[in-house]
Formats: sequence, structure tokens, C-alpha cells
Amino acid sequence: MSSVSPVSTAAPSVIKVQKTEQAFLSLKGLHKSFGPYEVLHDVSLEMHKGEVLAIIGPSGSGKSTLLRCINQLSPPTAGSVSMDGVTIEAGCSSSRNDLVKLRRRIGMVFQSFNLFPHLTVLQNVSLAQVRTMGRSKRDADKKSLELLDRVGLANKAELYPARCSGGQQQRIAIARALALEPELMLFDEPTSALDPELGLEVLAVMKELANEGMSMIMVTHEMHFAETVSDRVVVMAEGRILEQGISREVMRNPQHERVVQFLRAVRDR
Amino acid sequence: MFDVFKAMLDGVPWTIAVTLLSFTIGCLLGFPICWLRMSPFRVISFATASLVLIIRSIPPIVWLFFVFFGAGGGLLNLSPIAAAVTGLGIITAAQMSEVYRGALSAVPVGQYEAAHVLNLNARQRFVDIILPQMLRIVVPSAATYAISLLKDSAVASTIGVTDISAVAYQVTQQTFKGIEVYTTAALLYLLLSVPVALFSRWLGATLNTRISK
Amino acid sequence: MNELLGLWWEWFPDLLQGFFLSLQVTGVCLLLGIPLGLVFALGVSAPNKAVRLIFLFVVELGRGAPALILLQYFYYGLPSAGITFSSFTAAALALAYCTGAYTSEIIRGGLEAVASGQREAADVIGLNKLDALRFIIVPQALRIAIPSLLGFSIIMFQASSLCFTIALPELVSRASAIGSNTFQYMPVLALAGIMYAVVCIPATIIVTSLEKKLGASSQT
Repeated sequence: MSSVSPVSTAAPSVIKVQKTEQAFLSLKGLHKSFGPYEVLHDVSLEMHKGEVLAIIGPSGSGKSTLLRCINQLSPPTAGSVSMDGVTIEAGCSSSRNDLVKLRRRIGMVFQSFNLFPHLTVLQNVSLAQVRTMGRSKRDADKKSLELLDRVGLANKAELYPARCSGGQQQRIAIARALALEPELMLFDEPTSALDPELGLEVLAVMKELANEGMSMIMVTHEMHFAETVSDRVVVMAEGRILEQGISREVMRNPQHERVVQFLRAVRDR
Repeated sequence: MFDVFKAMLDGVPWTIAVTLLSFTIGCLLGFPICWLRMSPFRVISFATASLVLIIRSIPPIVWLFFVFFGAGGGLLNLSPIAAAVTGLGIITAAQMSEVYRGALSAVPVGQYEAAHVLNLNARQRFVDIILPQMLRIVVPSAATYAISLLKDSAVASTIGVTDISAVAYQVTQQTFKGIEVYTTAALLYLLLSVPVALFSRWLGATLNTRISK
Repeated sequence: MNELLGLWWEWFPDLLQGFFLSLQVTGVCLLLGIPLGLVFALGVSAPNKAVRLIFLFVVELGRGAPALILLQYFYYGLPSAGITFSSFTAAALALAYCTGAYTSEIIRGGLEAVASGQREAADVIGLNKLDALRFIIVPQALRIAIPSLLGFSIIMFQASSLCFTIALPELVSRASAIGSNTFQYMPVLALAGIMYAVVCIPATIIVTSLEKKLGASSQT
């Protein structure tokens, strides 16, 4: 077990910044506890612009929590999140302004879509553009239609979400997130609530997005997708990162015993 | 302020009496109404359902006037409190029959079937199996209704029962301290509802622990 | 029987005026009271503890006091502080407060029933708290609350009969006046009762079926 020492000295490690290129996103020493339960334990991670990261691991390993810590949907108990110059330190209430700045640049797609059921598909995609980006309704709708067209659903614009299949709803959710022109997209098990067949159409959209150079972090159970689409795979268990590296290498030749076990269990399914 | 409070206390026993008596009548009368409502004969159950709906669709004050001035004045000569208790008792019975019906239908069908399979007779099936489960569901709704009945009992003041509301009106006319008087009245009603809520919580907890044991 | 119908025919125009006034009071109190209920509901779930306690007190007082006491408070009580209302204004304000207190609980239930994912989604697309409430949470909460709000409106229509005690010439006042003039209490009260029932019975049936329909659809 090569676990990091649990002593949480909030020391920002100087050694890690020795890379040639400044990291686009960097998480340092993230901890997250819900009451007495520590869900994340000293997680540090860096990624470059345009990189596609897949986070895998057994359920309850803290993958989704990590994602939610990145956009501060559930703020970490300790540690910091930096993205392109904006840094949010846990526990600092002063960075409210920075929080908005950070959020604005990160899009998120949920496992359960979370479309707004009382708004049409078009309104779902347009609302935030009008309210937070100051776009006129006409410009917003135009942009929304372009995005809906891109995910193959322009013909559903006037329907309510309930009239669309799960796969369609998730593609709409992706369009909604893209409408705000994010620099980083977070996907929280985007296909877990879908039948495999419907999941494929969502994965196709995600793959296209990755090919266009979008920076993406996804929590997923789709091992094949993780291996073929992502640049790097991060394996988590019990709130820690066990192993990370080039997707193919981690998937084919894992080093850590716990990871070998996990991958075997998933493949045998 | 203290004088006002003391004068107001005179109304409390009447408010309690009207509430308790009409609640008791309603709880008892609710059973036969519920039984008729669930009759296998469509005519009977429909007629009962219609009656319950009619009773609930006419304001309490109209029922009280009807009993007091109508029946009381012409035929029976009821005292104000008797009229109030009769009128509110009938309304409560209609409400409680619905509470009972809801509770009965909330007991899973499997419980009836199991009681049958055990060869219990009709009385045993009801008293030993269904009733205890039903009560657990009835208690909270009955308590909520009792509290709203306590407040509805204020209409008894309109036919001359000297309850809290009636006293409030009298004292206001005499002292012109309307704000103190009506604030006291509101607080008295609030205070009276507290024991009902506590009792219901205690009873609910007792019934629940008996089930979980 | 003919005699009864004759009396009813004679009284009906007078009672009808009272009936419309009852409807009017109910309409005004709902129009003021339901928005007030929304404000109360938001106040009771405010993040600030002091604000929450104040709203909780206001709501509990409105729910704990009989509507009759509230009406008389506004009509007989406030004049001792130099505030005088016409019986219509007193009725509208008192019943609006009552409506606000009761509907705040209904609306709060609706707010809580909106899935937590909706808040999160509003959050990640960058809507601020107020926009999230206005465009996402409140519209859905009200939609959930509609059957209960309609059911409550029927109760308020019946409660408007209490305005009799503050000399508002609504349906019960007029019926009781006719009764005391003619001593024909039974027939006039029966007619008044029928007029309430004509509104409340169909309304209750509609609300019940609406509740069933929405209850069934929300389970899928």
C-alpha cells in the first residue's frame, strides 16, 4: 500500500509545479468529509488543456464527490482547486467572486440529466445564456438551436423534456452545458441511468466533443470508452487516487493490486 | 392586561366543552358512517358518500344556524351549547368517516388475507388485526382534525355559547382594549392546541413502539 | 312545496348579492394571500436563523388562531389602536393573512418536493439564487402545490361565511337577516346551504380527481 501520509500539511508541493507547461487545472490536497465520513482523502491531480480524463473505480470510492469538488457543487473540506489562474482555497469565504468565475467556465452533466421539466428543450438551453451571459433571447435561441443541431436534436426544440428519451435528454443536457461556452466539461456517470443502446448515442456526442479538443473529466463505468477515448485514466478507491496514467497502460497493465482486482471484477461482469 | 386575561379565562371551559363533546360524537358517529360508506351495496355507499360530501360542502356556521334557529327554534328548542355540539359533531363525523376510510384502505390487503387464512372470525379479524394497524394511521390525522375543530368551535359564539371568542367580543365592547383582548384570545387557542399535539405525538409513539416490539 | 319555492324565488336575488360578495371576498383574499404564502414559505426556509424564527412565529400565529378571531382582530381589535377598516377591507386582510399562513405550508411542501438535482443544475449553469428560485424552483413548486391550493381555496370560500360576525353583508348575513325578519330560518338557511354546495361540491370533485391524476403521474 503506497498510501500518502494522512498528515494533512496544507503545504502546496513545490515539486509538482516543475512541469514544462503550467497545468490548466490543478487540485491540491483535496479532502472532503460528510460528518464523520471522509469521502476524499488528500487527492491531488493535474490536467492540461484539451486533455480527456476518465475517473474509474468501485462505487463509493469518491469519484463523483471529486467531480463535485472541482466545480464546488460540494465544496471540499480542505485543499485547493485552481483553474487557469483562478484559485479556490477550501474554507476561504472571501473567494465568492472567484467561485462564480470558476463555475462559469466549467460545464457539468449529471447522471440523472436534471433538465428543467417545466421548460421546453429550447428554453432549457437558452435560459442561462440570457440570465448569466447577457445574451438577447434571439441570440441565445439561435445559439441553442445550433447546439441542439450538433447533438442531433434540433427537431425537439419545442418539446418538453418528458417527451424525449433518456438518451435524448442527456444530449440536451450536454447542449445546455455547452451553451455557456465552458473550457472544461465534467461528466458524472452520464450513461449510468440509460439503457446501453441509448448510452451509445450519448457516448458518440462525447467522443466528438473530445475530438474537437474540449477538456473533459468524466466519471464512468464504460471501460471500453475510458480506454479508447480518454487520454488518461485515474483509478480511485476509498477516497484516494490509487493509480493514474496513459489509458491503455493502466487498463492493460495495472500496477496496483487493488486496481488489478477492480479491473478483473469489471471485466468478468 | 391581567384583568383582560382573567376575564378571558371564563371562556376557556366552554371552548373545551364544545370541542371535546363534538369530537367525541364525531369519532363515534364516524364509524357507522364509514361502514355505510364502504358497503358493498352501491346504492348505500353512493348515498353515504353524497351525504358526506354535502355536509363538508356547507360552512359550519350555516349548519349551526340550521340546527339552532331552524331545528332548535321550531321543533326541538335546543340550548346554544347543545346546538353547537350537534352541528359540529355531525361535521366531525363526516370528516372522521373519511379519516377511517383512508386508514382502512392503507392497511395492506395481505393483512386481511392473512387474518382469513388463520381462521379468525370477523370480529377477531377486525379487533385483533385491522384495528390496531388502523389506529396508528388514524391518530395523527385525528389530532390534526381535533386542532382544527378547536378553532372551528369559535363559530359557537355566533349562536350564544360564551366561549373564548364570545368573551373576547364582550370584553372588547366593554374595555375597548381590542388588541390585547384578541391577542390573548389567539394565544389561548394556540395554547389549548399544544396538549392535543403532545398527546397525539405520545399516543402515536406508543402505538408505534408496540408494533415494532 | 310550492310555498317553499315561492319563498326561495322571493329571497333569491337578495341572497345572490350576498353570494357574489362572498365570492369577491374569497377572490381578493386568495389573490393577496397566496403570494403572501410564497413569501412566508421562503421566509420560513431562509438561511438566516432570526429571519426564520420571525416568519415561523407569524405563520404559526396565523395557523393557530381561529379565522374568526383574526377577522374580529382586524375589525374590532385594531380600531383601539386607531386603525379602522371597512368590514370588506378587514375581511380581505384577515383572510389573506390566514391564507398566507396556511398556504405557506402547502407551498413549502412544494418547494421541498422539487428534486435536489434541479437546484444543482441551476447552480452549475451559473444562475444566481434569485434566478434559480424564479425560473426553476418556484414554478415547479407551485405546479406541485396546485391541487392543495385549490382544495384550500374551497375551504376559504366556506370560511368567508365567518365575515357574518363583522357585519359584512355576505351570503350568511343576508340569510340570517331574512331569517330574523320572517322567522323562516329553515328554508332560508337551506337555500343558502344549497348555494354554498353548488360551488363546493363540483369543486371538491374536480380537485379530488386532479389530485388522483397528478398523484398517479408523479409516481411514474
